Amino acid sequence: MSPVYVWTIILGMAVTNYVLRAAPFLVLSRVELPTWAQRWLDFVPVSVMSALVVSEVLRPGGAWLLPWENPYLWASMGTGLVYWRWRSLIGSTLAGIAMFIALRCLLGVLPI
Amino acid sequence: MARMLVSPASPATRDRSLAGFARGVKLGTPVLLGYIPIAIAFGVLARTAGLTVFQTVACSMLVFAGSGQFIAIAMIGAGASAPSILVTTAVLNLRHILFGATLQPYLSHVPLREQALIATGITDESFAVNVTDLRGGSASASSVAGVEFVSWSGWQIGTIIGAVATGFVGDPSRWGLGFAMAAMFTALLVATAEDRRHVIVAVVACCLAAAFMLVLPSQWSIVATAVIAAGVGAAVFR
Repeated sequence: MSPVYVWTIILGMAVTNYVLRAAPFLVLSRVELPTWAQRWLDFVPVSVMSALVVSEVLRPGGAWLLPWENPYLWASMGTGLVYWRWRSLIGSTLAGIAMFIALRCLLGVLPI
Repeated sequence: MARMLVSPASPATRDRSLAGFARGVKLGTPVLLGYIPIAIAFGVLARTAGLTVFQTVACSMLVFAGSGQFIAIAMIGAGASAPSILVTTAVLNLRHILFGATLQPYLSHVPLREQALIATGITDESFAVNVTDLRGGSASASSVAGVEFVSWSGWQIGTIIGAVATGFVGDPSRWGLGFAMAAMFTALLVATAEDRRHVIVAVVACCLAAAFMLVLPSQWSIVATAVIAAGVGAAVFR
């Protein structure tokens, strides 16, 4: 694998990503957002997180898993409940990983 | 309803103290701890795909976008062309535009060069932690930067461990780390679902995401879901 190929990808991604991250700051420091756009942005965090969870959980590693053979799905619901009850990001992440490992053994679909 | 339906972002506090930054570091520590195992997995996969230690670490330092980096490594492994990798990851990361646009109104009083610095540290997790804190009203530009700095550090620590100790770690999925990302996203989904309106939008978004995944490549389904579900929320709850 040529270094030029790898560095083109790394530096290309670095520049593209920074432009995507910084562009709204540059634009919005000059333009005031209309009310409808502010209302829309209020729902962006929860919408993006939903989309990320669903894509991680229904198709982990790129392969669809059916509900009864999917430890990701059930462990994710458990993680959500733990966060809802105790409001601890690290606690729910660790509890989630523990539930995931247990479910993986229980469902017996993946090697331990 | 007690809360104003349209809640314009109230600006972050003007606190510029080190204490504000430290507060952000504390808030972001769970993200650091969550990032380490995921970044170890990235380090291992990147080395296995043929990147050098230096390239692997440089990638995490400069790009700092977890899902984008994982996709890039998978595509490198599959022998994809550089332009196709750049386009795919750019589409996947279009959501960063939404994140920046959501954060900016809270930080409009901050000098532009500091906003430009804050932009470098935006990820799914640092954004979710910061937006929850900003909505709570006690965040400042310093605390936002603190959350981002500690998240970035966790990503680097994990990458270095994974890249250097590839042979010792073995297959990262053995340790249940394949679920770490999903676990953090789930907790942050609950954190960002502030009231009944957000919960309803979350349900709509989950259904939309599942439907889009059937018909669109994953990089498109995330951004399409975000744009449309948030639009539904804005249209219904005026």
